[in-house]
Amino acid sequence: MSLFIYMLLVILWWNAPGAFKPNVNDPFRSYGHTFSRLREADSVTDIDILFIGSSHSYRGFDTRIFERNGLATFNLGSGAQTPMQTKILLSRYLDKMSPKKIIYEIYPGTLSLDGLESTLDIIANDKVDYLSFLLGFKQFNIRSTNMLIYSIYRTLTSDFERLEEPDIKGKDKYISGGYVEKELRFFKKVNYPSQNWQLNSEKLFVVDEIVDLANQCGIETVFVFAPITESLYNSYCNNNRIDSVFKNKKEKYFNFNILLNLDDSLHFYDAHHLNQNGVEMFNEALIDMLNSKGM
Amino acid sequence: MIFNSFSFLIFITVVFTLYWVVNNKSIAHQNLLIVVASYTFYGWWDWKFLSLIMFSTLVDFSIGILLLKKERRRKLLLATSIIINIGLLGFFKYFNFFIDSLINSVALLGYELNMTTLNIGLPIGISFYSFQTLSYTFDIYKRKIEPTRDFIAFAAFVSFFPQLVAGPIERASSLLPQFYQKKVFDLKKAVDGLRQILWGLFKKMVIADNCAEYVNLIFDSSNDFSGSTLLLGAFFFSFQIYGDFSGYSDIAIGSARLFGVDLNRNFAYPYFSRDIAEFWRRWHISLSTWFRDYLYIPLGGSRGTIINRVKNTFVIFLVSGLWHGANWTFVMWGLIHAVLFIPLLLGKKNRNHMDIVGGKRMAAPVGDVLRIISTFIIVSISWIFFRADSIGQAINIVDRIFSFSIVSIPDLQGYGDPIVTILLVVLLIGVEWIGKNKKHALENMENLMSRPTRWALYSILIFLIGMFMVSDETPFIYFQF
Repeated sequence: MSLFIYMLLVILWWNAPGAFKPNVNDPFRSYGHTFSRLREADSVTDIDILFIGSSHSYRGFDTRIFERNGLATFNLGSGAQTPMQTKILLSRYLDKMSPKKIIYEIYPGTLSLDGLESTLDIIANDKVDYLSFLLGFKQFNIRSTNMLIYSIYRTLTSDFERLEEPDIKGKDKYISGGYVEKELRFFKKVNYPSQNWQLNSEKLFVVDEIVDLANQCGIETVFVFAPITESLYNSYCNNNRIDSVFKNKKEKYFNFNILLNLDDSLHFYDAHHLNQNGVEMFNEALIDMLNSKGM
Repeated sequence: MIFNSFSFLIFITVVFTLYWVVNNKSIAHQNLLIVVASYTFYGWWDWKFLSLIMFSTLVDFSIGILLLKKERRRKLLLATSIIINIGLLGFFKYFNFFIDSLINSVALLGYELNMTTLNIGLPIGISFYSFQTLSYTFDIYKRKIEPTRDFIAFAAFVSFFPQLVAGPIERASSLLPQFYQKKVFDLKKAVDGLRQILWGLFKKMVIADNCAEYVNLIFDSSNDFSGSTLLLGAFFFSFQIYGDFSGYSDIAIGSARLFGVDLNRNFAYPYFSRDIAEFWRRWHISLSTWFRDYLYIPLGGSRGTIINRVKNTFVIFLVSGLWHGANWTFVMWGLIHAVLFIPLLLGKKNRNHMDIVGGKRMAAPVGDVLRIISTFIIVSISWIFFRADSIGQAINIVDRIFSFSIVSIPDLQGYGDPIVTILLVVLLIGVEWIGKNKKHALENMENLMSRPTRWALYSILIFLIGMFMVSDETPFIYFQF
């Protein structure tokens, strides 16, 4: 009975002032347009390429550019998505979407995150099913538990299917297909102290599981390290290790920080994300690369 | 695995089920399960140190029997037990500290000493279980108890997992006999144990961990804050360490009761103390009574000359400080308490407040309230030395507290909302004040409230834990001791 009362209190407390609910983070219809993307994902079938990964994915792969080149695509990236959330999303949508190819955006930083931010994002913005419980169980954290409780309530009471999210929020615009276009801005270059990527072996194991999942469906996976600013990229002392890890896999791997020469100020709006100019260059280069490799 | 973790929940559920349902044929079965479970619990931290606790158990079990058999070698046997237990503790906990202190002291004289420190890990719980086994040999030596010949019962006494890593430090006379009798499940005891666990979890996960966020912020950048903010930081640390340690003790005692075992009380609402002497009768009771019985009294206690009494008091508090950690800040903390305690001792006022403040009444006399507040402030200021990284930092913090910057509103703007944490602390004080005549704040609630009211209160506590707990697993402060 205490658990039932707990759930009730969580629901009742949901609208309390922020300071009084530190373990309630509700990214419902907040940043990244995850709600719109997952809503649209439900109706997407038979595409050529599915993009997955973190914000480098949903802000880096413009589905319109691929469409111009005759490719039907969908972008299932989300903020701070780690392999655990990627696997859950694929379990939910891969069959229906049946892409011929998966472009898996690998930002090494996500291989050391705990994934809580992304778990909350997905539980808050997607339908509640057994995969939500699986995600909540795998990311066993009081915040994800509270989020799951409220999502169940919201699903049962708010007519979840009919909720909407504006396409334009602040400087972001949701583009059909899952891409989010940022209003054109430029980045003022900064320098970063020397650092190393931290690779979590459990996360890498899940990456292999994702590839296996795709292989079982006869879908090819391509790993892509999307461009970040040169100053940020060069601050990492073990980029070779990342390249080595992914080149040793059977799947193709492209590091566009080496393959593409972009300008930190002209082609980025922050240290991590390309502006629209940079996205155009990156996506055209990716299409050319795939064509040249007969992919 | 720490108490406030999912893995511990699974662990204790499994052990509880096995203990009462599967393995309850005889006391031997129950004790064996306790030993296996306790070693599993301890090995979860670091399996390499299992050999140490096994060794300590074997040594003192053997010495206990030999103390009975070898009358002429009693002193030698006791000395062996002391040397081994204190030796292991000294080596793992204090070796590097003494080397560093020696090097620094020699450097002050202008010389350089080339000595190497070792990369030694501190076996968790060694400060607790070594004192526990020592008390066994001490009590046999003083002929207070007979040695046991039941090795499994003794191993269960030494390693009993609820109290293994951070106390309470149990006496053989109270805990060991409980492993001679087959336990029968007592629902009322188990339910009250669960209530105590719930209250302990609230104190640790809500009070201690939320206070810790501000304590770490303030102490890590102490030069950036005003005197009033630093004093607030000291108050937060007072509640952090109380919530952390008494919370752990409540969970330990409550968990033990699930297995039909009664552990001694370790905290008796110390912040309701009216003077330092009362504080030390209510704070970490198992440690202070251990030092009283095995160090203070053998040294002469309060008997003899004034110089003797002062010396013994200093020894106790300095050793107690050092027990807490290999750092001069802990010694300084002990010294401060010695200086505060001695006037009460010499003035024969150290036993002034033996009753519970306010008795059974909710209201307390104004004088007592003022004494409680002043004692709390003094204790909080002394905690600064306990928490600070160095004596220099602690002195700097105290200096800034007693400066004009104390006359200001604490400035934690941009660092969350401390008001919420303060309200939670007020809730803690309120609940514990109401329960000040009980062993723990939620004891025997079935006598005071109807079932729906009790369940509503449990639900609110669980809700507060779920809403305010720090979402990452946080260790207990006293594990480092």
